[in-house]
Amino acid sequence: MLFITRGNLNKLLESLSGDYRVFVPTQSGERTAFSPLSEKTLEKMVIGGVRGFEPLKAFYFLGREKVAEGFGPETPHANDIPPCIVGVKACDLRGFHILDHVYMDEDYGDPTYMKARREGLIISSDCTETLDTCFCTAVGGKPWPESDFDINLSPAADGFLVLQGSEKGKNTIQKYRSLFQEATDETTRSVKQVRSTVKRKLEKSAAENKIPPVEKLAGTVKRNYESSVWADETSTCVECGACNTICPTCHCFLLYDQQSDGRLARFRIWDSCLIKDFARVAGGENPRARLWMRLRNRFDKKFDFFPNVAGEVACTGCGRCIAACPGKIDIRKVLGRLDSE
Amino acid sequence: MNNPYRSVEAEVLKVISETPSIKTFVFSPKEELTFGPGQFMELSVPGVGEAPFTPSSDSRNKETMEITIVKVGKVTDVIHELKPGDTVGLRGPLGKGYPLAKFIGQEVIVVGGGVGLAPLRTLMYSLFHMRDKLKKLVYRGGCRNPEEILYRDELEGWMKRPDLDMKLTVDVGNDDWKGPVGVVTTIMDDIQVDFSRAVGIVCGPPIMMKFGTFKLQELGVPDSNIYLSMEKNMSCGFGKCGHCRLGDFYCCKDGPVFTYAEIRDIPGIWE
Repeated sequence: MLFITRGNLNKLLESLSGDYRVFVPTQSGERTAFSPLSEKTLEKMVIGGVRGFEPLKAFYFLGREKVAEGFGPETPHANDIPPCIVGVKACDLRGFHILDHVYMDEDYGDPTYMKARREGLIISSDCTETLDTCFCTAVGGKPWPESDFDINLSPAADGFLVLQGSEKGKNTIQKYRSLFQEATDETTRSVKQVRSTVKRKLEKSAAENKIPPVEKLAGTVKRNYESSVWADETSTCVECGACNTICPTCHCFLLYDQQSDGRLARFRIWDSCLIKDFARVAGGENPRARLWMRLRNRFDKKFDFFPNVAGEVACTGCGRCIAACPGKIDIRKVLGRLDSE
Repeated sequence: MNNPYRSVEAEVLKVISETPSIKTFVFSPKEELTFGPGQFMELSVPGVGEAPFTPSSDSRNKETMEITIVKVGKVTDVIHELKPGDTVGLRGPLGKGYPLAKFIGQEVIVVGGGVGLAPLRTLMYSLFHMRDKLKKLVYRGGCRNPEEILYRDELEGWMKRPDLDMKLTVDVGNDDWKGPVGVVTTIMDDIQVDFSRAVGIVCGPPIMMKFGTFKLQELGVPDSNIYLSMEKNMSCGFGKCGHCRLGDFYCCKDGPVFTYAEIRDIPGIWE
């Protein structure tokens, strides 16, 4: 196992900024947010801690992005420098399972997303703390990455235990090999200890919140399609769509045409299935006219649709939707209520 | 890499007024767009927006494409203002259309309602073209009133074809209307086919699709032989934007043509 000191990690990231747009997690009040690499942000960089405020999708398909211009064959953003995101947590990496399923395919893949995924670099890290809203272990996750990263960093005294997760990660380490050193047994032991402490904390929280086991989640909406839980839980929803925007697996978008210099400019904009007109067709018919139907649809998509089409639930337990909801709708509680119906 | 969001430039060649709220536009795409009956296109007016439509012309015609459009909203209001010479964008073809090869050797019943007659015209051209391979071809069409019958002259021409059993009905007749009066299901009882093996195709407004499907079922057509052209809010057209989800399917990518057997258990399909 390899080890890198904090000082050498800073050097590595500075070197990588020649090939990538590097974003690092920085502490901002109580939140961790990703900021472009600079001398200032490197100083405030927090590699362990908890998940970032914004979901990782914000770097792979932007909230508003030009996807076509004029009628020509050129693709906007084709020459963008790929992203390197540092300090990504396991829950966000798991979101890629869903986003890749949606956006990566040969015939109709999203060119910007696919380019960022194929050319980007991910330097992930373990969680060393938890938030009250975290519940990754309840949906089958762990508070440390085991796949889907190029390089993982596990915080330890004075630096980080380093794990390579891909060929790209291996090559990056090789290229900057002098910045790394062999890890001591003491470091490996301390990382294991932190991991088990954080995991225990999450399991305790999941039990307290009575979240049903993950194997019971798939199909839960179908079984409770006509339940009164939907209308009841929707009573405080203000239809803001924050749960969609902040979710690492919500992928829906709207195509929005504008004119730029007299040419067609087509934008892909994040959309929200909680908003009334989401499924409305021309002529006015709306298959989900009531707000509770739209809340049910969100759960349906995450816990029935994706297990059927992609083989896993589209919830990573990041808890962002719980933190973001002004109506205090708690996904853990909704799942618990459905399970006890 | 192919950009699935890109539209192909097309010129408006001709505008035909069908009814006060329906026009047929003849487009000339700058690149060849090969579509099959039942597939749809995203038509855009540059800077205004895109909306999904199913072409109504013969899919073997590679030079031009016709689309019949009802004025119902923001995009269609602007489309209705288009004049010959104007430029639009066409993206597609998208989705899965009718599996014509499966109809070979079969008795085929086509049931259409209202503006559903537009996409069915494309299908009928294909079925006429392969008519010698079909055992029988039946067409039943319904509209609210005689003024709303699309392509009326052409349809009356079809009535004279000896290789087609065709009837049209209207919900409300007028002094000139000599045909039957009533919803489309009222002109389906005299169809002479072996329903247990026949293929049924239904296209029209949701309420007509629902009762058309139930009628075919009642006559004995198996659910797996009833083909429906579903309408949902199709935006990207290739199963990514999430708007047109129908159970485990996306209407745009997995349809818009589905068999009733595929979708009958999904809640709310007629809404």
